[in-house]
Amino acid sequence: MSENPKLQKWAELASKQMKGKSVDSLDWMTPEGIKVKALYTAEDLEGLENINTMPGMAPYTRGPMTTMYAGRPWTIRQYAGFSTAKESNAFYHKALAAGQKGLSVAFDLATHRGYDSDHPRVAGDIGKAGVAIDSVEDMKILFDGIPLNEMSVSMTMNGAVIPILAGYIVAAEEQGVSHDQLSGTIQNDILKEYLTRNTYIYPPGPSMRIISDIMAFCSKNMPKYNTISISGYHMMEAGANSVLQTAFTLADGVEYVRAALKSGMDVDTFAPRLSFFFGIGMNFFMDIAMLRAARFLWHRLMSEFKPKNPKSSMLRTHCQTSGWSLTEQDPYNNVIRTTLEAMSAVLGGTQSLHTNSFDEAIGLPTDFSARIARNTQIIIQEESQVCHVIDPLGGSYYIESLTNSIVEEAQKIIDEIAGLGGMAKAIESGMPKMRVEESAARKQARIDQGLDVIVGVNKYKLADEKIDFEVREVPATVRDEQIARIKEIKASRDQATVKKALDDLTNAAKNGGNLLEAALPAVRARATVGEISDAMEAVFGRFVATTRCISGAYSSEFKANDDTITAIKERTNKFLEKQGRRPRLLVTKMGQDGHDRGFKVIASAYADLGFDVDISPMFQTPEEAAKMAIENDVHVVGASSLAAGHKSLIPALIKELKKIGGEDILVVAGGVIPPADYDFLFEAGVKAVFGPGTPIPVSADKTLSLLEEKYR
Amino acid sequence: MLKSPHEYVDGVLNRDRLMLARTITLIESTLPAHQELARTIVDLLLPHTGKGFRIGITGVPGAGKSTYIESFGNMLTELGHRVAVLAIDPSSSRSGGSILGDKTRMERLAVNANAFIRPSPSSGTLGGVGRKTRETMLVCEAAGYDVVIIETVGVGQSETTVASMVDFFLVLMIAGAGDELQGIKKGVLEVADAIVINKADGDNILRAEIARKEYQTALHMLMPNSPNWSPPVLTCSSLEHTGIGKIWETILDHRKKLSDSGEMSKKRKHQALDWMAFLLEDGLRQWFYSDPQVKAALPGLRAEVENEKTSPTAAADTLLRFLQVNNR
Repeated sequence: MSENPKLQKWAELASKQMKGKSVDSLDWMTPEGIKVKALYTAEDLEGLENINTMPGMAPYTRGPMTTMYAGRPWTIRQYAGFSTAKESNAFYHKALAAGQKGLSVAFDLATHRGYDSDHPRVAGDIGKAGVAIDSVEDMKILFDGIPLNEMSVSMTMNGAVIPILAGYIVAAEEQGVSHDQLSGTIQNDILKEYLTRNTYIYPPGPSMRIISDIMAFCSKNMPKYNTISISGYHMMEAGANSVLQTAFTLADGVEYVRAALKSGMDVDTFAPRLSFFFGIGMNFFMDIAMLRAARFLWHRLMSEFKPKNPKSSMLRTHCQTSGWSLTEQDPYNNVIRTTLEAMSAVLGGTQSLHTNSFDEAIGLPTDFSARIARNTQIIIQEESQVCHVIDPLGGSYYIESLTNSIVEEAQKIIDEIAGLGGMAKAIESGMPKMRVEESAARKQARIDQGLDVIVGVNKYKLADEKIDFEVREVPATVRDEQIARIKEIKASRDQATVKKALDDLTNAAKNGGNLLEAALPAVRARATVGEISDAMEAVFGRFVATTRCISGAYSSEFKANDDTITAIKERTNKFLEKQGRRPRLLVTKMGQDGHDRGFKVIASAYADLGFDVDISPMFQTPEEAAKMAIENDVHVVGASSLAAGHKSLIPALIKELKKIGGEDILVVAGGVIPPADYDFLFEAGVKAVFGPGTPIPVSADKTLSLLEEKYR
Repeated sequence: MLKSPHEYVDGVLNRDRLMLARTITLIESTLPAHQELARTIVDLLLPHTGKGFRIGITGVPGAGKSTYIESFGNMLTELGHRVAVLAIDPSSSRSGGSILGDKTRMERLAVNANAFIRPSPSSGTLGGVGRKTRETMLVCEAAGYDVVIIETVGVGQSETTVASMVDFFLVLMIAGAGDELQGIKKGVLEVADAIVINKADGDNILRAEIARKEYQTALHMLMPNSPNWSPPVLTCSSLEHTGIGKIWETILDHRKKLSDSGEMSKKRKHQALDWMAFLLEDGLRQWFYSDPQVKAALPGLRAEVENEKTSPTAAADTLLRFLQVNNR
């Protein structure tokens, strides 16, 4: 207890108001394990390293720029891309006319994984979660009428970075723009792909080399270009809390720095071009403090490498509001969520921001929803008057104390990773992945119990959900269009030049040489994204993910003998008694969608509820998933879909099951599936659809009811 | 819906994946009707079994068992073999449920037309792993799989059970996982036909080699199980597919040595007797506990023993007497 008489007096008064309960009873333990008190005072600032600093000066807690938004507000940078290059291009033109400042390109999953649109494994993925790019011809259409010497372009690409970055460079060349005029960012953060999103192509070793090659090429030829965007966003989306996001992101950053140093570069040639990407969730003050803590810590971590340029230890970041926090239920609430998250990012001092569209739990953004999302930022920037003061929460007892707590907690994890030999080694050991998954399972359990409130999902639910707005769909013709263009290109190019360029690239992969530089002639000769990826795969191989799953984390968040949980466990036990085995469920992910958080939380939670749960490998075709369902003889298959592939992949699975005699295996679906598609899926034979935010006990109850009815 | 035994038998012999899978489900079932049907099927299939390789694989969690089997299994199918993998995963003692994730680490083998992988939860029936796995192995052999691999987690007692039903028992280890011999029970090493240090790749090669020598020394101190075979310690990398072929050669060598000396057929006969003894004990236990009088009297007698009103000897005697009286 404090010596401060005023504080003691307050505690007494507060206790009296609470009928004798101590003020400690108001303490809140955050998911990060940080104890938050009801009141912070000047005492809490004593001895903190992060206070009394200046913006634009080390350790940059208060912001990397000296004038921050008072000088120039953050860049409004909306991430978009869908179906064809032509449609995305039209969308960009509209957005730029309406006040957007930079471009941010989303690619489809086939492109991410280095497959051309005509590859048989990706039939369900073309143009779904982003734009399909097969060659530089698509790239030219994408940027048609957009001067690449003026426009800063950010590209979310990690797997197929070489063909895509080379494609962007060649598209610029053909616009008459030289390499040194290009500005923007490529995400190029492969480590987090192994951790969460799984859109990699090659094993970690060669992937790290690709990153070093890109850094080396750009530091020489593209000085205004950010060669990497070290991303915590996807970790947050996978369920990481803010401390885990901070620690793992910065540890990834340190690993890239070490890789570049190892390849012989000087720290000051590349470190100023490193940028970051954080996800901002609904814990308003926590994520303000997170951005401040991340800057402080990055400066501390980089100081070890003794840079001479102050910019080398200055953390600049892009932020995106959380997609995970968006609900399918009562979806207009998402506008408010996104606004709060955007405010949090702004008060934390982000350099650029993407605000999500409110309909993203339902479908792809429409012109309408994209406008609301963009205007959310414009209104904060131009109407709310928050830009006039730099780091307006600097010195706040609570924010500063919280900043310090995140610094301390994240540092512990960073030290642990250092003890494992760095982030690449830590990822190999599975430690970061397990932590993120554990955090995700716990969060789901808190939501399912109503401890974490989500309006419209576990509280104040609408009796009657109606969609009264347009939902954008990707036309099924995208794949045909892409395939037609690939054929056209392959027919008109000079095959000998292409072959030589690809051989040279394979050779560079084998014997050394800058891979980005080696890919440029292939792109100029009209080699496709798939061909360029294959040329390197011939040497590097294709990486296969291992899925680990923890059990017990979900149920351990529940109170002992929680009624809902106990009731479901009794029913799975009864099923065992009657049927001779537990209800057996296969959870599968088909297509190139690598978001595996949902399906792992489901696996872990259902096992805790007494199911036997089979997990399929990632990136299955419907045929492969059906074979596994038959072989493991499951009662039910749960197909998880978050990347708009559900309308082709899930009916294909049902057809395949019928073909090989598994017509009695039930199929249920979960993930981001627009309610408008439910009937389509039911007609195809899907027995139940669980949208985003469905509490696990609810889906388990429904699944069990289906089974109990079938096996009476 | 249950079918007639012959439908299952024909399905298995015709190498129908679906019917093989459903037969295994019957074997694993806790329902007496399913078990009876399964017994009939297994009996009918018995003449079609026994020709293949039976390989048991165990190792501590994290030793890379599944990744090893991915690499090993794919190599075997390339050599023209048909491979069945029976993976036993632990069931949660709290919920009874389980996570069966083996195939996520056997991505290529899982879609290989010449492979059949069946993960099974460890919990369930009386008799557990022993009965279910052995019968499943036989059914797989009847379905034309000439190599059957049984994978277990390297903790608990299932290893020795598995070792008692296979021709070759392989223990997978990794170097640098702390105190080398602590991780695995001595009993497991005693039944090993080979120890393989996995993950001998990258900067781990040297450590793997050191571990190999340590295990070699440790094995020398154990009495070999067989007069014709002293278990070697090998290294491999499932990731880089090195050393995998050598392990298969070792297994072939083992078979040759034991076959030439007649030990293999003795081993199988011995295993058959062990199995019979096991089934007898298991059957007696089941028979005893399902006796209506025993069932009725057991809770009361347990309470009396607990409260020191009856001695354990007297209570057991009373219960056993029911069976004698009932079966005169």
